[in-house]
Amino acid sequence: MDVKYINPFIIATQTTFKTMFSTELKLNKPILKQDRRTSGDITGIMGLAGDKKGTLCVSFNERGALYLYSLLVGEKYEKVTSEIVDSIGELTNIISGQSRKEFEKIGLNLSAAIPMVIVGKNVELNFITVTPIVSVPFAFSLSNGDIDFINLDFSFEDAGSK
Amino acid sequence: MKTLVVDDFSTMRKLIKNVLKQIGISDVVEAENGKQVLDLLKKEQIELIVSDWIMPEMTGIEFLKLCKADDNLKKIPFIMVTAEAQKGNIMEAIKSGVDNYIVKPFTPEKLQEAINKAIQRAKM
Repeated sequence: MDVKYINPFIIATQTTFKTMFSTELKLNKPILKQDRRTSGDITGIMGLAGDKKGTLCVSFNERGALYLYSLLVGEKYEKVTSEIVDSIGELTNIISGQSRKEFEKIGLNLSAAIPMVIVGKNVELNFITVTPIVSVPFAFSLSNGDIDFINLDFSFEDAGSK
Repeated sequence: MKTLVVDDFSTMRKLIKNVLKQIGISDVVEAENGKQVLDLLKKEQIELIVSDWIMPEMTGIEFLKLCKADDNLKKIPFIMVTAEAQKGNIMEAIKSGVDNYIVKPFTPEKLQEAINKAIQRAKM
């Protein structure tokens, strides 16, 4: 995949984390995902349509999702609850919006619907595209110095592709 | 100042309520979309609306247009807080009469500034 289609997602995710959590996301090396399964414990999923079509998945580990929620609204939970699920949906929504703003800068107009969230590791996903899935891992620090990860998995192709 | 916060994500409603509390606004009514509050708007004295765009049943832009078309509601400051960041969306909201447009992600300071400006403009 052309890097110009990867950069908007990277910029969007890093901007979102910097603004909402005052947290730097360290970009690790993007890879082509070999399976069509969720990468983390809790995954936000958003379809994209318009000049191109595709699917964006934002995957979190449980620990990272709980931590980010506590930063966002000041409430701590020990396990994934409906509130945590909700927050992942909203984060996915925000990353999608920022990505689409970046895509607009390179002349691509995309729209998105309301995201959905899956709780569970290795859940099989039915991507609407046939193109390879690019997986972009990011690392971030928790308040205790531990490192956690999020994964951006996306697949993108021309709108008229079958 | 009685404020209506409309967003289908409870996390965002909570976040916005926290920001409102920091600037002294604690009388807040919440809803998941505009359709839920159309009756409430006729009965309650809402003085500020903070609304998302993409929501089920009634989008924020539909809700905005309804408010601005109603003689009793059109003067209520209406702030859109949304992930829709493309120029076309922003222009559509401006043309529909939005008083301020905040793109997610936002800092609490940015939202506070937008709310204060909207309140000042409404007083004029």
